[in-house]
Amino acid sequence: MGATVSPHAFVGPNEGPSWPMLLSVATAAAVVAALLIVLALTGQDVAGPALSAFLVCWLFIPYVAAGLIAWKRRPESKLGRLMVITGFLTAFSFLVWSAQPVFFSIGNAIQFLPPALYLHLFLAYPSGELRSKGDRWLVGAAYAAIGITLLRMTFGEGDGRNLLAWFDEPEVVAILRTLQRVTVSALLVLGALRLILRRRHEGKPLRAAIAYVEDTFPLVLLMLAWLYIVQVLGWEQWLPITRWTTFAVIGVTPVLFLVALLQARLGRASVADLLVELGVNPGPAELQEAVARALRDPSATLAYWLPEFDSYADVDGRQLELEEEPGRATTPISRDGVSVALVLHDAALLDEPRLLASVAAATGMTIQNAQLQVELRARLQELRGSRVRILQAEQNERRRLERDLHDGAQQRLVALSMELGELEQRLDGNTELRKRIEEARQEVTASLAELRNLAHGIHPAAVSDHGLAVALESLATRATISVQVIGVPRERLPEHVELAAFFIVSEALTNVAKHAQASSAVVQFDTTVELLIVEVRDDGVGGAAADAGTGLRGLADRVEALGGRLRVWSPAGRGTRVRAEIPCES
Amino acid sequence: MRVMIAEDNVLLREGLVRLLTENGIEVAGTSGNADKLLMLVREEPPDVAIVDIRLPPTHTDEGMKAALRIRVEHPDVGVLVLSQYVEVGLAMQLLGDSADGAGYLLKDRVSNIKDFIEAVERVGAGGSAIDPTIVSALISKQRRRDPLDRLTPREREVLALMAEGRSNQGIADRFVITLRAVEKYVSSIFSKLDLPTTGSDSKRVLAVLLYLRG
Repeated sequence: MGATVSPHAFVGPNEGPSWPMLLSVATAAAVVAALLIVLALTGQDVAGPALSAFLVCWLFIPYVAAGLIAWKRRPESKLGRLMVITGFLTAFSFLVWSAQPVFFSIGNAIQFLPPALYLHLFLAYPSGELRSKGDRWLVGAAYAAIGITLLRMTFGEGDGRNLLAWFDEPEVVAILRTLQRVTVSALLVLGALRLILRRRHEGKPLRAAIAYVEDTFPLVLLMLAWLYIVQVLGWEQWLPITRWTTFAVIGVTPVLFLVALLQARLGRASVADLLVELGVNPGPAELQEAVARALRDPSATLAYWLPEFDSYADVDGRQLELEEEPGRATTPISRDGVSVALVLHDAALLDEPRLLASVAAATGMTIQNAQLQVELRARLQELRGSRVRILQAEQNERRRLERDLHDGAQQRLVALSMELGELEQRLDGNTELRKRIEEARQEVTASLAELRNLAHGIHPAAVSDHGLAVALESLATRATISVQVIGVPRERLPEHVELAAFFIVSEALTNVAKHAQASSAVVQFDTTVELLIVEVRDDGVGGAAADAGTGLRGLADRVEALGGRLRVWSPAGRGTRVRAEIPCES
Repeated sequence: MRVMIAEDNVLLREGLVRLLTENGIEVAGTSGNADKLLMLVREEPPDVAIVDIRLPPTHTDEGMKAALRIRVEHPDVGVLVLSQYVEVGLAMQLLGDSADGAGYLLKDRVSNIKDFIEAVERVGAGGSAIDPTIVSALISKQRRRDPLDRLTPREREVLALMAEGRSNQGIADRFVITLRAVEKYVSSIFSKLDLPTTGSDSKRVLAVLLYLRG
């Protein structure tokens, strides 16, 4: 019995970079880093050589390292390669420190490449591909803005190291520089806004590490934009602090990204825990908890496929309507090639197809027990639903009968008795006939009383028409013992709840009268948001059997059908207490 | 005396109109529903509004609501509710804190024309009329150390008639005894039940009903 996982949960055929490849890129990075450190310590116009050396490494190494790991771990995503490229090109932009005109010119030319790369990288996260036309336009515009750098150089920017200098127009250069900084910072702000809106639309990612990574994206873009604005405004005193903090934040992003990747690796270990938990053949709810734990997604739930019901059901057997929700995704669990359940989880987990696949595979092996239990629960749910429907149908039918009796026979009999009354009144002289008519009238009145009792027995209309308080007052008045009614809810409740409460009190008081030898009883109501609680206590002999011919069994069924419960306590010599809790939602 | 009637059953409505008219009571308006009755009452308040407790559209509490509304909006208009429920709670709800000009009778009572006309006239004159079944249910209600046990059978009968809203003269007529004798019974009942004596008949009704209700 092998568990299989549906194809789309598998990782694609792309096996990623080979080890020699990774190793050579890493070696190249190490060499570049070493050269840059030397350059920072010996180069021209370097403000704070040691700090600058550290900064170069901070901006370079984390991007390359995180990029390489991401490339290896998730070859299907272009993100890793993009990060490696971003790291190297950022590093090369520091060639401006070089005394060599060629290196200086290259470094200077790509000065504005890093901001465009960050914009590209962040908007392309997590797949490595730009998702929308707007994103592509924005990134394209940012790359195009580098062209202005070349123009600046042509107009004679910098010193003699600038190989592209053709004219010598410092004022044009200054205007171009301001134009470029304003343009690029505007693009960066737009990019940050897009990221913020995207987050608002898609919701916060479930895993904290990923959320932090994503939080840094707009922050980096906004700080870069601010850096350029500070330069345009010429706020020299703010420049160093702005620059250092911006660069510091830029380096944080890949570090957090590495942490998130590491957590995903730990997730693999949680699958091992999952397998141990599955060893005890868990029930539906335990299995769901175990899966949620293994995925580290507390919102993850299981939907079990029930072939007999032709639908999915949750762990309690309630049927589920599965709809596409933004930010949610499903991963199927199969057993012997047949889909048996779905994991409903956070869409962010699609980033970790291997984790999903291993959790699905592990779950598929032991899901049978849980699935059978869910099927059983679904049957119980169905049964409960039909009990409620039967109860409802009976109630409706009884109400209809009562109304028919009232509108038909009762009204006719009242009219008849009125007619007889009038006849009786007119026959002033004829005492014999008058007496007989009066007898007939009283017969009709007696029939009316019987009919009224019958109708009340079929359906206590006063409960439905006027509420519990009114109906219970008569019940208490008619009782053969002294009855105190406390706390009847003032507001009207759903009809089936009021009727159930009425029948319980009525039956309980009847039992008290028959069996309890009590002198008094208390009927007490309590309401919570969801429940109407009714309790009937007497001071009688107790010892009543909860289900032996007391009529309470039928009431317990009724209450349970409504999703509530009925309890009876009747210790010998200490009275009887009947307590029902009836759910109030309609 | 002018009355208005709200009753949706045509047979009964016409029967009531005939019965009242024949007994010298003017029927100033009839209606099959609560809204029209309220309109009629507002236009030209009658002495008594006779209201069927079950009126369209839902045939549940429309009649009762209309009756309570007239009691609040037109304190001078007597309200006589015709009901098919033997519900103490409904009768007490109709009275509220005063039994003046209020009546709660089972529909069956219309067959005893003399009693019914008397009840309508009592309510029209600001008195009250409570159905005997309601009163007898209250009197036979179980109490701990029942004070009603101290009453003689005749005193219990007098108590019941008081609770129905009858005057001393009415009680005297019923039992064919003197007014003086009734007064003696009444004061004996009040002292045995430790009830303070009250002014009008309808105040007496409320006091007795509240006492019996416990």
